[in-house]
Amino acid sequence: MEGHSITKVVLLACGSFNPITNMHMRMFELARDHLEDTGQYKVVRGIISPVGDAYKKKGLIEACHRLEMTRLATESSDWVMVDSWESLQPEWVETAKVVRHHYEELLASEQNIDDVDTIKYAKKRRIEENHHKDRDDLQLMLLCGADVLESFGIPNMWKQEDIAEIVGRHGLVCITRSNSDPHKFIHQSDLLWKYRKNIHIVREWVTNDISATHVRRSLRRGQSVRYLLADSVIHYIKEHGLYSSESEQKNADVVLAPLQRYTGASSS
Amino acid sequence: MAARRVPLVLLACGSFNPITNQHMRLFELARDHMHSTGQYQVVGGIVSPVSDSYGKQGLVLAKHRVAMAELALQSSNWVTVDEWESQQPDWTETVVTMRYHYRRILKEYERSVGMHNNSNLSPQLKLLCGADFLDTFKIPGLWRDDHVEELVGHFGLVCVSRGELQPERAVHESDLLSYRRHNIFHVREWVKNETSATEVRRALRRGLSVKYLLPDSVIEYIHQHNLYTEDSEMRNKSAVLRPLVKQAQEPVKSLDD
Repeated sequence: MEGHSITKVVLLACGSFNPITNMHMRMFELARDHLEDTGQYKVVRGIISPVGDAYKKKGLIEACHRLEMTRLATESSDWVMVDSWESLQPEWVETAKVVRHHYEELLASEQNIDDVDTIKYAKKRRIEENHHKDRDDLQLMLLCGADVLESFGIPNMWKQEDIAEIVGRHGLVCITRSNSDPHKFIHQSDLLWKYRKNIHIVREWVTNDISATHVRRSLRRGQSVRYLLADSVIHYIKEHGLYSSESEQKNADVVLAPLQRYTGASSS
Repeated sequence: MAARRVPLVLLACGSFNPITNQHMRLFELARDHMHSTGQYQVVGGIVSPVSDSYGKQGLVLAKHRVAMAELALQSSNWVTVDEWESQQPDWTETVVTMRYHYRRILKEYERSVGMHNNSNLSPQLKLLCGADFLDTFKIPGLWRDDHVEELVGHFGLVCVSRGELQPERAVHESDLLSYRRHNIFHVREWVKNETSATEVRRALRRGLSVKYLLPDSVIEYIHQHNLYTEDSEMRNKSAVLRPLVKQAQEPVKSLDD
């Protein structure tokens, strides 16, 4: 019998989650089914990491609300959870750094399971440059939609080395609709093509276009969003009066953080 | 002076095999739309699962479909499930189901507001459906002409479009529907959502996740009763849809029952 080990996978989704919808939750389900279907992976956890307020996206409401709504939406899931680390950082954090942070945490906790000595573990966690050895049997993959993959092509949105780190050292799981062609996009990028083995494209045969933008629009117009997001999230939104014409104007004249940071900067 | 609104009940007939979030969205979208016309006040919604004798391929027992719809609608304060149609001995024409519910609604309404109050507008019952439903009128033998006339002329349709379908085209291409177009309300669903019961059954057969496409309680029920397998999908495989058989035999009756 051929012995091939199964790689444990943790899926990490970064984004505004403004608000979190059933479509976001579906992405995790689709990704897990796809990866496990290959027979090579076992998806053990899903992490939703809402972006910090410093991202300055138009219409982005406070992180504390987005975190709580995500927590409510994940309550019924036994494997997907919300993480607040990114949103608590004072400045906007590049996705690659978020991936790095969660990967280090993952290695540390796995190490903890391996180590009997807890003092060693505590010491390890305090060290700034925490270079755990990458493990073959454990991977963190970034979960995203085709729009994120294609955003790799937007000037000044991403540092090339960050893209390389995410797809090279880790992995990407990209949920795509029938009308977009991620394979072509990968083909047209030398960088992505180099790491194509780490990019998993998941076809969403049943289009489910519940965008948060549409949800916010419906809410502004007093239209029902029932069955597009979790009931508990809708309740929270109503309770706190989130998503109005005013909230949609937040950051209207501000430049998105990554564009601010990278414009004019030489790649280092 | 504020215009008085017609009390409106929306009735959705169908297999509900199983009921999905998309079905429930239809009600929400329709209610918002009818309210926005300024002429209607939606006071209720009814889900009426078709009876087993419909003979559609893959149809699981009505008792399950009704139970799942009940679970799904537990959290709704205006839409309910009705089992009358599913309990009839034979497949029931949509128009007959509508007449039954309309009589019921009228009776309830007259009881609550009193017969003497003439200034109140009489309640109406309209059929809620997806755009693909309009295309079924073209299928030979599936609908009686007099029924289509009663459905769109007397009752009315609230038709929610999704995906690429253009319900306006179906209306345009039919003289009968075109004549009654003022009684066909088109609701645009801007969120493209192709979740269908067919896709859900497919995913379940393949052991794939359907979480967030239908309520958790319905998914649990499905797993508990092991509904939707390769075998269940083969049910009625070679059967002819009941309406095609029943309506081929019957001479056309008058509109009176």
